[in-house]
Amino acid sequence: MCGWAKERIAASWTGELEPGDQAKLRQHLSECAECAHEMTQLTAMWDRLTDMPAPEPSRALQVRWEATLESLGGVVAEKPGLRWTWAALWPQQPVWQFAVAVACLVVGLVVGAQWQRGAKNEVAALREEVASTKEMVALALLREQSASERLRGVDYSTRMPRVEPEVIAALIQAVNSDTSVNVRLAAIDALSRAAGQPQVRQSMEQSLARQESPTVQAALIGYLVDARDRQALGALQQFAKRPNLDDTVRERAGRAAQQLIEFR
Amino acid sequence: MTAVARGNLSDMSELYQRRHKSLFRFFFRLTGKQTASEDLTHDVFVRMIRYRHTYTAGDSFDAWMYRIARNALSDQVKKHRWELPTESSEMEKVESSRPDPFETYAKQQDLALLHRAMRELPEDKRELIVLSRFQGLSYEQIGQIVGAETGTVKVRVFRAMKEMSSIYADLQREKAS
Repeated sequence: MCGWAKERIAASWTGELEPGDQAKLRQHLSECAECAHEMTQLTAMWDRLTDMPAPEPSRALQVRWEATLESLGGVVAEKPGLRWTWAALWPQQPVWQFAVAVACLVVGLVVGAQWQRGAKNEVAALREEVASTKEMVALALLREQSASERLRGVDYSTRMPRVEPEVIAALIQAVNSDTSVNVRLAAIDALSRAAGQPQVRQSMEQSLARQESPTVQAALIGYLVDARDRQALGALQQFAKRPNLDDTVRERAGRAAQQLIEFR
Repeated sequence: MTAVARGNLSDMSELYQRRHKSLFRFFFRLTGKQTASEDLTHDVFVRMIRYRHTYTAGDSFDAWMYRIARNALSDQVKKHRWELPTESSEMEKVESSRPDPFETYAKQQDLALLHRAMRELPEDKRELIVLSRFQGLSYEQIGQIVGAETGTVKVRVFRAMKEMSSIYADLQREKAS
């Protein structure tokens, strides 16, 4: 394969081949079988790449960006440009030139120190604002129509360093009333991080009585046992007596009640 | 971007609308991960705000943006110890989730092979193909991004295509046998 042709063939794929080189390349290909073969084969591969579909980002990205931009509004202030014409101010006398230079150095050191401090504060604020956007994204996604987007919202909530009260409330609401069993299960799982909070355990306990899906019921029973919530004993015993309960769930509730008694 | 560099964030919003999909696709084609690509896209725009003073008016904005994008990806690869490409890429899900009654079985198979060939390419070569073929950047811009002469970039893209073609042919033979 001729080195000269490699560059030209690559340029021909992107339409960057110079007009003068086009004729030269054609001429070369008519004389060099190896280059002609490479050109045909690789150009076909280059064209075939068009068939590879372009993926789309989810709506979560847009929501997250809007939240970031909104939160950054107050952080990034316009920085006025310094448009000095030093030449006009520059003195003619060497003594004054030296004096101005020293003065500039001192001013530069002071201003530089101030500016650096300001920049550090700005970056810190920026980081803080970006961190808080995950919470906003989780909340926004949990309100979406599509179950898969709500699942993404639950997933976002698990990526936050700590679960904020607003997110906890949205997750509890999802456990209680989301139309998708998958979202309910994911929300129960996400709330395990907040199992140390009595009001969360209490909400899970109350939610158990509302659930109709055996899978969600079983997940909630598991949650209460894992949280070692002794307060839930009465609710579990009551729940086990519920008519039309799935046999496996009833057995599990009974076993869970026994486990809670043993924890005592 | 010049306006953004002066601190005008409303222009940043417009910039985002124009570029975020393209940037997302860049990351997706390199990583094959949907969520990670979205995180990276977001990260790049935040970095663009943070480092807006490093943009010089008159320079190629794309080159500047993709340099930031490459740094963001490199940081994530180091942080999460990712291996690129991924074995269980989400790229193929894009195919299977696209209901197209006119798409033949053979074409789907061909696309799957193309994806595999892309995945099996070394990272630097895959990046060159993504930048030149999918992101629509000129060789000069790619040179500014990867720090190489335009002529060198052309030769590297040629070699990357040749390697991809060879991997693709091997995969076809493997499938036929």
